[in-house]
Amino acid sequence: MKNKVLLLFLTMLWYGQIYAQNNSITGTVRDASEEPIPGTSIMISGTSQGTVSDIDGKFTLKAAPNSTLIFSFLGYESQSINIQNRTTINVTLNVNDIGLEEVVVTALGIKREAKTLGFSTTTLDGELISENRTPNFADALQGKIAGVNISSMSTGPGGTSKIRIRGQSSFSGQNNPLVVINGVPMDNSNYSLGGNFGNRQLNNSDGGDGLLSINPDDIETLTVLKGATAGALYGSRAKDGVIMITTKSKNASKGLGVEINSNFTTDTPLDFTDFQYEYGQGEGGVRPTSSYPTSGVWSFGERFEPGMTQILFDNEEWPYEPVSGRIKQFYNTGVNWTNTLTVANSGDNGGFSLSFANTDNKSIVPNSKLNRKTINLGFSQNITPKLVASGNANYSHEENQNPPQVNAQDFSTATVIMTLANSMPFEALRNNITYPNGDEIVMARFLVRNNPYYSTSKRFDNVKRDRLIGNLSLNYQLTPWLYAMGRLSMDFYVRDNDYNTPNGYAPIPPAPAGFVNGSFTQDTRRFRETNHDFLIGANRAFGDFNIDLTLGGNQRFVRMDYNSVAVKDFVIPDLYTVMNGRVKDPLYSLSEKKINSLYGLGEFSYKEWLFLNLTARNDWFSTLAPANRSIMYPSVATSFVFSQAFQNLPEWLYFGKLRMAYAEVGDDNVSPYSNALFYAVDNNLFPNPDGLPSPLGRINASTVPNTNLKPLRVQETEIGMELRLFDEKINLDFAYYRKITNDQILATQISDASSFTNQLVNIGRSMNKGLEFLVSGSPVRTNNFRWDASVNATYNTSEVLQLGVSEADTMITVSSGGGRILRQVVGKPIGQLYTFTYLRDDQGRMVFDENSGRPLRNDEPQNMGSVLPKYFGGVSNTFTYKGLSLYALIDFKLGHKIIAGRNQNFLRHGLHKNTLNGRDQGYVIGDGVNPNGEINTTRSLIQPFYETTNVLGINEDWVSNAGFWKLRQVSLSYDFSKHLPDKLFIKKLRLSGVANNVLILKKWTQNMDPENVSVTSDNANGMDFWPSLPPTRSLGFNLNVKF
Amino acid sequence: MKKLTKYLLSLVLAVGFFSCDEKFDEINTNLVDPTTLNPLFLLNQGILDMRYRDGGSSLQDLSYNFGIVQQIITPFGSSLAGANYNQLNLSNSQRIWQNTYRNVLKNTVDAVEKSKVNPDNTNLYHSARIWKAYAYMVLTDTYGDIPYFEGAKGFIEQIVSPKYDSQETIYVDLLKELEEATAGLDPNKASSTSEILYGGDPLKWKKFGYSLMLRAAMRLTKASPSKAETYVTKAVAGGLISSNAENAVLRNTSVFNNYIGVHLGAREKANYYLTEPFVNHLKTNEDPRLESIAIRHVGATNGPSQTISRITRDPDLQIGMPMGHDDVSINSVLAENGVVSLWDYSQANIYTVLKVDSPQFFLTYSQTQLLLAEAAVRGWVQGGAATYYEEGIKANMEQMAFYDLDATVSEQAAATYIANHPLENEMALEQINTEYWISSFLDGSELFANFRRSGYPTLEANPYTGSEITGNFIRSMPYPDSETVVNRSNLQEAISRQGPNNLDRRVWWDQP
Repeated sequence: MKNKVLLLFLTMLWYGQIYAQNNSITGTVRDASEEPIPGTSIMISGTSQGTVSDIDGKFTLKAAPNSTLIFSFLGYESQSINIQNRTTINVTLNVNDIGLEEVVVTALGIKREAKTLGFSTTTLDGELISENRTPNFADALQGKIAGVNISSMSTGPGGTSKIRIRGQSSFSGQNNPLVVINGVPMDNSNYSLGGNFGNRQLNNSDGGDGLLSINPDDIETLTVLKGATAGALYGSRAKDGVIMITTKSKNASKGLGVEINSNFTTDTPLDFTDFQYEYGQGEGGVRPTSSYPTSGVWSFGERFEPGMTQILFDNEEWPYEPVSGRIKQFYNTGVNWTNTLTVANSGDNGGFSLSFANTDNKSIVPNSKLNRKTINLGFSQNITPKLVASGNANYSHEENQNPPQVNAQDFSTATVIMTLANSMPFEALRNNITYPNGDEIVMARFLVRNNPYYSTSKRFDNVKRDRLIGNLSLNYQLTPWLYAMGRLSMDFYVRDNDYNTPNGYAPIPPAPAGFVNGSFTQDTRRFRETNHDFLIGANRAFGDFNIDLTLGGNQRFVRMDYNSVAVKDFVIPDLYTVMNGRVKDPLYSLSEKKINSLYGLGEFSYKEWLFLNLTARNDWFSTLAPANRSIMYPSVATSFVFSQAFQNLPEWLYFGKLRMAYAEVGDDNVSPYSNALFYAVDNNLFPNPDGLPSPLGRINASTVPNTNLKPLRVQETEIGMELRLFDEKINLDFAYYRKITNDQILATQISDASSFTNQLVNIGRSMNKGLEFLVSGSPVRTNNFRWDASVNATYNTSEVLQLGVSEADTMITVSSGGGRILRQVVGKPIGQLYTFTYLRDDQGRMVFDENSGRPLRNDEPQNMGSVLPKYFGGVSNTFTYKGLSLYALIDFKLGHKIIAGRNQNFLRHGLHKNTLNGRDQGYVIGDGVNPNGEINTTRSLIQPFYETTNVLGINEDWVSNAGFWKLRQVSLSYDFSKHLPDKLFIKKLRLSGVANNVLILKKWTQNMDPENVSVTSDNANGMDFWPSLPPTRSLGFNLNVKF
Repeated sequence: MKKLTKYLLSLVLAVGFFSCDEKFDEINTNLVDPTTLNPLFLLNQGILDMRYRDGGSSLQDLSYNFGIVQQIITPFGSSLAGANYNQLNLSNSQRIWQNTYRNVLKNTVDAVEKSKVNPDNTNLYHSARIWKAYAYMVLTDTYGDIPYFEGAKGFIEQIVSPKYDSQETIYVDLLKELEEATAGLDPNKASSTSEILYGGDPLKWKKFGYSLMLRAAMRLTKASPSKAETYVTKAVAGGLISSNAENAVLRNTSVFNNYIGVHLGAREKANYYLTEPFVNHLKTNEDPRLESIAIRHVGATNGPSQTISRITRDPDLQIGMPMGHDDVSINSVLAENGVVSLWDYSQANIYTVLKVDSPQFFLTYSQTQLLLAEAAVRGWVQGGAATYYEEGIKANMEQMAFYDLDATVSEQAAATYIANHPLENEMALEQINTEYWISSFLDGSELFANFRRSGYPTLEANPYTGSEITGNFIRSMPYPDSETVVNRSNLQEAISRQGPNNLDRRVWWDQP
């Protein structure tokens, strides 16, 4: 540590000592349109001397009369001019319109020329994100970026977006990339199912993630740093890649600009079910003939015949006929409307961008909606020519009302709608919600399968979040070759969540006399993350060599306070307050964590075609054991622009670059205090035999703590090549990477007989490797017509190399339930799905129980393959004819498995077409043998027969290819700008028709869209069981007007 | 230039402030939750958790234990299937395993370990040992061989894949533990009245410990009669529970509920019924307890119509649900049973024995007396079997008032019943154990264990057509699938020792 400080100090001195004097030269730097370019670096070749142009593009420096000046500014072609005894030199810099000098924002917000990078990045323009959007904008990135796998959750508009870059690297459930806004990390913890925070009481909604706070209209660019090398300067947090968002901070062109963007879409729920509508509701082959008995969620009744009637739970006689279109009958059309007003200015001394936006998302689920208001301010101001202050502040206020209950029974409309008897008229449900006293009217003997109209009208769940993410930085250009930057940033939010179990909810017991039953929970979380960081950068050229050094440090502090009160039973009905509750159960928790880091970056270049980047970062984690707290991550990357190195290359090879990189990063990957066992004292007292209230206390953990956790380490090697051919008609970019993750920290499932359900262990090694291709280009370019195409494809595979300490540990279980088991297995890709299978004899015939006639199972669960896609990518085409442009994106994921387990529910409820077998005779004789090897002749009752697979956890029938091809996005835009009269105050007008999630071109799963999931954890991958909300297709328009 | 150097120097100094990991231990200290706790609190929690933490955990009693001994049954299948269809329902057959290990033993074993080292806490230590033995006995009786010596040590010894021990060795150790713990309890040493089972009274704990020893010993009547006799003798010599005031009972409140009551009072309210064999037995014998236990919603045609106004507690009007039906086939016997729907059968009374705050009994004076009666029949204890038998019945009649005053059985009624049912020599074991069956109503694991051990009461095999078992009755619970998944080799060893992992497998003490 001390040595590092000394080194830094010496470096500074070394740079500081050389300074000389010469003749005075003045001049102005302008661009092609005669606008001055402030901040241009003007260096005297071969020395460390130089200056920067001021706000008017003017500069003054002293130099020897025959020296050469190098003018450079990011985004422009550099120029070398010999002074030749002149005292005035005016320069015009040309924009690098061919893109070779493309600037990329890299880690810590450092801007770099793309060609110098030795690793893979992808940058998307803000327009591509805002025009055809999704409520959580990240979902709209699906299929657009090689190596990035995005799954949108079917959990309503406020839901979480699951992003995985270069596969699942660790065995833990959350492998989320780091999200960085304007150079500063933001907390993207999610409140999803299987996410970072759980709920105290019965509540199965997806409470959203951090990205939800971002208004896509504020995004200028979005850059994905995929590999460890790219993110190495972010150290521990970069193991899963980095998503860097740059928000607008000034007007694109000079002067004041006003922009209005209006985006309106509607969501139509999609139905992928193909149920049987031959036999109606009932059980045991009998239709309901008196109220309640067998109605509700069973479709094991009689064959529909004209004129038949049924008596339902409301005691009314209804026609006994199929009720189709269940999804359309219950779910609404969702409506999303976002309006953004942006006022921006850009002047000589800087600029600002201020936006206000309002977003309303009405979910397809009744009474469920999200409103988000955001204010975004970005500015950059030259205080003096050398001192620049810049900053961003993003404030958002989100109100998520009744995010839908998913992946559960109670109050989940998805579960009820998808298992509802096939002759249940929705009118009966609509008309019979509560009794006059407010108690729930029960519609099925599974009391937790509520009338969906009850769930959506009596239960509430409110999430409110106020969030401020901001940073302020000062950048001081000490000398033309040396700058220092200090930055303060904060991500702060307060999240309130309250939810109830309504009075009179049938599955809960009555309250004691004088009270009504029900429960209410009120949660408040206060989150704060602060980052203090500084950077010192120096740049110096020595003839053909250039050295760029950056040193910096970061101190990150995270704190979350959690206050919650849960109460049960109320004095006054329908008054949901904690004071009104009878039994009160308060909770408070506090979690704090600190990470200190020091880092350095060195870039060495030779003649603009050979680049070497070295970085080193040291992190110290408060969450880990003292001996394991400090860890150093090095990275090295090279870039070789061979098209510039060799002069005699063929003309069609416009640009060519080879890159190679190696990096190590790591992560503590544990929550604070994971090293100790904690206890909790019950808030309420239990009477001793004399009635004396006595205390209760318990071990407050289900995970065995580990005091010796080490940070996990990722070692990643990457090689890649970029080619631009035939006048940029074809651009190729491909990357190969290999990533080894060591010392993973993970909660493995352990025997209940240990008294704990999980153990936190520091084991295991896994490897991810893959290829990423991006082929893009403009095959046709004429004056009026242009065709741009882009194909990205990723091949990603993984292998578990080692688990546990001994050779014998070849398998760990990360989660299991209902015979759906997810494991890590040595020698196989990450995420192996297992399930029980039917018992079969040597000839492959199924074996049935002699007494019951029901199928038997193998004792050991069998392997079904990996849940992670091997191939994914997207194909996009844009056709532009004059002002009209048509964009279409097809995306795919292939090569992975899912247990489409909701079919298990459809089967046991009599909705699945497989249950038609045996209905006419009233029994099933399984096709196979009995355990003695004789042909099975035992008759099994219908319902128990189709219940068997659920009871025994046999899911083999539902194991399916999880792949798909989808027409993801289509947009048709027209730019009216050129039709606008010159004098009109409107400068630009662009209208687009947009469509998202348009069509499934190919899928393999029965009765569901394979992407239709609601749990974000990687430990739930492929383990579908309860139906999710139906997926939606959205259609709408986007209007962009600039004044 | 000097200025520049100054800037740089101050920056470097700033770097110095990042001194790596200063105050990190402080930051990584949980300021809210304690890292240790008075073991008394943990024992209290262990006792409380024995009767479940939620309604879901009680489903093993409802789905299996009560149904196997034919007291409470549901005609419904799917997630409620179990003893009603004699079928495997893994989600319900694993609940005692999960609850006992994850909750009861986690806290109880920690209480044992924490109090062991403190010489001022010996009474608590020995009480916790007795409670631990109680919990393990329920586990092994339910599942057979289980992780015992290595069980519940995930944190203490970092054993995450514990070995299974044979039930025989477990019982040897349980008896040893009970012997040591009862001997170690000392009324002259400190104890805390804040203990919830006996208010910390070492003498009552001693009696409970010896009574549990009697129960454990009697479990071995077939498998190891000599050991049974030895420990019955020791238990009696040590001193047993001598009145209902000394019952091991969980005094539920309106905050900490009786979760079977919660479940049958709400979520499963319309789904569970008293069985025909149970109701008929009580009716035929004019047992006054029927009025305490049973209600019927006369004429109810569905769940919502089970209203208070339909309730009758009249013993003559109680109708038990016949065994062997599902919710469709039951309709074929409604008329002959004299009910209008399946919702019209008798149910356990949620206003007396199964209120949300009704007490739950772990071990009672009545059970103890009945075990003594059997021991007397076997000649292992002094005194007349009939005396113990009568006292056992009387004690259980008295016990009813503890549920609710409304459940009180009058002394007169109790006396009449006892007078009408004298113990007869040839039938003694059947009579005693049939009374034990009534006396243990709602004590699921004990009902199941004693029924298997004694073979009484004499029940007809459940005639359900889709039964999966080969014998007449379910003999034990299969191991949870999670064990197959995460503790495979140890489980395999236990299975190879005991036979296939199904409902037919007999535990060691359950010999044909």
